[in-house]
Amino acid sequence: MDNDVVIDVRQITKHFNGSRVLDGVSFSVTRGEVFGFLGPNGAGKTTTLRILLGLIRPDSGEALVLGDSLDTADPVRSRVGVLFENNGLVERFSARENLQFYADLYNIRNPKEKVEELLVFTGLLERGDGLVGTFSTGMKRKLGLARAILHDPEILFLDEPSSGLDPEGQRMVHDLILGLSGKRSMTIFLNSHNLDEVSRVCSKVAILHQGTIRAYDTIDRLRTGDKGTEIVITLHDEGEATKAIRILSEMKEAGPIRRLDDLHLTVFLSGDSGFPVLRELVAREVVVEEMMKKRRSLEDIYLDTVRQAEGDKPSEGTAGVTGLGGGGS
Amino acid sequence: MKGRYVIARKEIRLFLHNPQLLISAVIFSLIFGLVSGPAVIMTTSGVSPGQEYTLLVSLSLMTGVLIGYLLSGQTFLREKQEGTIETLLAGPLPLREIWLGKVLGVLVPAYILTLFSSVLMIGIASVISGETSLPPGPIIVHLAIVVPAFIASAVGLLGFVQLLLGMRENQIINIVVIFGLIFLISFSRELVGPGFAITWSAEGVFLGLALVMILITRALTRVLDKEKIVRTIP
Repeated sequence: MDNDVVIDVRQITKHFNGSRVLDGVSFSVTRGEVFGFLGPNGAGKTTTLRILLGLIRPDSGEALVLGDSLDTADPVRSRVGVLFENNGLVERFSARENLQFYADLYNIRNPKEKVEELLVFTGLLERGDGLVGTFSTGMKRKLGLARAILHDPEILFLDEPSSGLDPEGQRMVHDLILGLSGKRSMTIFLNSHNLDEVSRVCSKVAILHQGTIRAYDTIDRLRTGDKGTEIVITLHDEGEATKAIRILSEMKEAGPIRRLDDLHLTVFLSGDSGFPVLRELVAREVVVEEMMKKRRSLEDIYLDTVRQAEGDKPSEGTAGVTGLGGGGS
Repeated sequence: MKGRYVIARKEIRLFLHNPQLLISAVIFSLIFGLVSGPAVIMTTSGVSPGQEYTLLVSLSLMTGVLIGYLLSGQTFLREKQEGTIETLLAGPLPLREIWLGKVLGVLVPAYILTLFSSVLMIGIASVISGETSLPPGPIIVHLAIVVPAFIASAVGLLGFVQLLLGMRENQIINIVVIFGLIFLISFSRELVGPGFAITWSAEGVFLGLALVMILITRALTRVLDKEKIVRTIP
């Protein structure tokens, strides 16, 4: 196994009561990465997370975390942290007592200092002696995160961390995740169906649907897609559009061209920049009204993936269009 | 500190943080002690030596198991209901250490309350009868060893069942257990029989029984695995 690979999932399958929940799921996460595991409810995300944590055994395949299966390796479990949706907190204990309990459980040196440090880190110092049962959902989530990172884990598993939080609470959780990944270089495995959250904090994603990985790459590469960068061109009139198609079809950088209507067409380019196309069209006196690079949002990618998996047509992807410029000749 | 003791300490603290449960358990042991003291005297008038404390033997066991049952609901079932058990299972401790810690966490308060109840029972019986002598040796051994061994095995078994089964099954089990215990308490005198006397050999049988129960429960925990627990979290 590559030294930098800290999570290595190979061909895992799992059945519950005769029905297949996971089918040949494979992916890997490298050290320091923020990995988003996306999928609709019932896709198998939580089952995968439980397999990774050693709470459930796969029927076949293997899930290695830090080179071991957490099912059998008790010491390795001390090197990972986890935050489930319920936060894992004792409601009748104060914030300080909760952290103290987990500090003892993980046999942390200088537990009192560590507890105080985390109360400061999460902004809960003033409520340290308050009963967790009286906390808001956001405060519980902050404390849950503090609990999960108390022992300085190398990998942090988060299960729907912003679920049930208001926008302010969600932003706070995202900032904490980015802080952990940035300052502490923690590897983060984020189980979520919140696309906004994943696109904000993750560098790489896997999209799970009906127990199968349907897409798996960096968000940037998924945005570009297999066909390359998509450019939308608006021409002055129908004749100009026909002329543009002829010129584009001669260009080696240009891939598939699609005419949307009399004035609009799209073309896929092998590179990331649309400038060569603009330059060529302008040089050959084509009147270009507008030209835009279409950036697929994570939502587009997700919906396309899910629809393709269900046998539907891909979405047209209206969101996230960035202008490249335009103008006439 | 060993993981099991960390868990046990947490469970004891949790019990102390739960005024409703704490008051219920204390009142229960108090009432048992107060009511059973005169009963011990009434049932022992005119009996032969060794038979005075027959009722105490059965009642102390029932009281311990019943208090253990009350507390195990919070320790095992509630944690499962709230899903927090999943975080514990994902932590560094093996499942058996968690289970053992929880059993200890229930055993300590349940035993203290049972002992309190039994001492109260003996004290009241002594005051009423006017005899202030210490109970015989087998009774002391019974209270010091057999009662905690019975509580531990019963709580271990209850914990095993509560972790293994789903919520609906647990509700059914709860009803069976509570009615079973009420039945045993109500007919404890009849169950041990009128001729039953507390002797060293009788205590040896009790102790052997408790140890067998503990061994059975320990063996059963091998059947328990994380997947079964996680999949029955509501």
